[in-house]
Amino acid sequence: MSAFLQYLISGVATGCGFALLASGLVAIHRVTRVVNFAQGMFAVVGGMAAGSLLGAGLPHGAAEAAAVVVAGAVGLAVGAAATGRRGTSPQSALIVTLGVGFLAYAVEIMIWGDNPRSHAGLGGSATVFGAHVQRQSFLVIGVAAAVFALLALFFGRTYTGKALSACASNPYAARTLGIDPLKMGLVAFALGGMLGGLAGVLLTPLQPISYNSDVLLITNGFAAAVLGGLNRPVVALAGALTLGVAEAMVAGYGEASYQTVVALALMLAIMMVRASRRTALQEEAAR
Amino acid sequence: MSVSVRKNRPAAGAAAPASRRRPGPGALAAAAVAAAALLAPAVLPATQVSVYVLLLLSATVVVGLSMLMGYAGQVSLGQASFTMIGGYTAALTATHGLPTWLGLLLAPAAAAACAALVGVPLLRLRGHQLAFATLAIQLILLSLVGRQEWTGGDIGLQGVPRLRIAGYEFASEVSYAYLALAALGLVVLVTRHIVTSRPGRGLRALATSEVAAASSGVPVAVYKQAVFSLSAGFAGLAGGVYAFYIGYVAPGSFPVLLSFEYVVMVVVGGAGTIWGALAGATAITLLLQLLNDIGTREGMPASAPAVLSYAVYGLLLIAVVLFLPKGLVPSAAAWWDRRTASKPTEG
Repeated sequence: MSAFLQYLISGVATGCGFALLASGLVAIHRVTRVVNFAQGMFAVVGGMAAGSLLGAGLPHGAAEAAAVVVAGAVGLAVGAAATGRRGTSPQSALIVTLGVGFLAYAVEIMIWGDNPRSHAGLGGSATVFGAHVQRQSFLVIGVAAAVFALLALFFGRTYTGKALSACASNPYAARTLGIDPLKMGLVAFALGGMLGGLAGVLLTPLQPISYNSDVLLITNGFAAAVLGGLNRPVVALAGALTLGVAEAMVAGYGEASYQTVVALALMLAIMMVRASRRTALQEEAAR
Repeated sequence: MSVSVRKNRPAAGAAAPASRRRPGPGALAAAAVAAAALLAPAVLPATQVSVYVLLLLSATVVVGLSMLMGYAGQVSLGQASFTMIGGYTAALTATHGLPTWLGLLLAPAAAAACAALVGVPLLRLRGHQLAFATLAIQLILLSLVGRQEWTGGDIGLQGVPRLRIAGYEFASEVSYAYLALAALGLVVLVTRHIVTSRPGRGLRALATSEVAAASSGVPVAVYKQAVFSLSAGFAGLAGGVYAFYIGYVAPGSFPVLLSFEYVVMVVVGGAGTIWGALAGATAITLLLQLLNDIGTREGMPASAPAVLSYAVYGLLLIAVVLFLPKGLVPSAAAWWDRRTASKPTEG
């Protein structure tokens, strides 16, 4: 029982990290219709930057916040590259973000080298009902919950958030009301960058990352986001938690090396089930 | 490489009618390229032949992927998984004492069969979902192959014997260069015949709109399956030749990055044209080789080759997609057409 609880809590923590990544993907896709392949890279940048800033002597809290801001700036730059040029179709933008991912590899290797890195989070472990859980897991869950509450407030209560939602639901109508979809797209990219960076900052103490961890991160984030069709944040959150717990259970009770296989198989299954419910006609009408 | 000497100008992007022309500069270029390709192994220094072989193998995969992406409009980010299946098939048959020519035959067959199987559920997906699904397939495959006893785990399969066909043993670098050239020639020929035929027009139609294509009587699902399997078969053939050439296969030989590399080659050269695929594979391979030379010079940090190649990949991909969305070859062809059209035509 205690082992089960241990896997459950660490799985929920990992799931929260994936949920932050996925919510960034969803925010960007809703506003710009671009699937951002560089989303995993934001997490890598956030995690690595936090480690460097801590090493430079910044206190905990300030270093992590600064790393998230750095990731947000990177997100803004990616958005400018992917959507800045008028007439770039979402398909082309996907390839552009793939290219940005490569460029980021070069920069990351130059700054941080190519070995896996980690930084100290909340050290130690707590005992809950006989299960030993890393305290960092609780921090991840707490921060993610707070961030999702803030996001709900932001989209529901602030002008910028409402403008973003307007662009997501009908760009043409939003434009007639004086909202600039291009600008909102950049805001979405910056937000996505910050969310991805936060995921990286929180997850790095649990599992070291290297420059090419982004492929696995993006596939996990995408798997969670695709459950809600890349448009529904709440469904993406549920998907991410399911994915995190499933991976933790497989790693705990089965083979650790099979956890990615299970996650990916789950993602394929979800996509196929969703695809079988939509006809080609609906897909093409939605373009 | 027998590129036929009657050039139908590859329609760039939009479905322009392939106008039959009398043998003009295009045909001459094709003949020149074929001649250069045939001469290259003989005149290149020994150290360069291996680069040439790998270039030809990349081109073999890229021609198929270009047909899949540019013609049928299906993006695959996991094409290296089929190269891997081909490589492992060839290595497994050869190391289990079966004749090596059988291994070379089975490599494309196995890759195409796997693609046909996987394609049934996979090709229901479209656009970015298909891209991620193919990437997921490759990650799953890498993970599984790295854990099985019979595939040699992470170490892979060592000691693949030399290829023997009808008593001739392929032993020298140059012989493999001609083998790879033959593979590429075959692939180019098959692709040419497909894109200029009725099924080719069907593929082009379904890339634009599946609904419209289906209502015009194009068997969309069957065609998508067929082109997916065929491009996988091309990749498998390249993988088979690769296994015999290098002599061992391991999961590390077919990373996700290799799949991305193929996509970069397709996009840079110009998706949907054979010339584009050849140009893209050539340009990227030579560029990487050049960067490798620069990066491994005296006084360079150890990470320099990786940094340089990643940076160039990224910049090239972004620049081409934003400023030459059709790719190098179609853009160059359009520029040439404009140049010749602006001059007063003779006759």
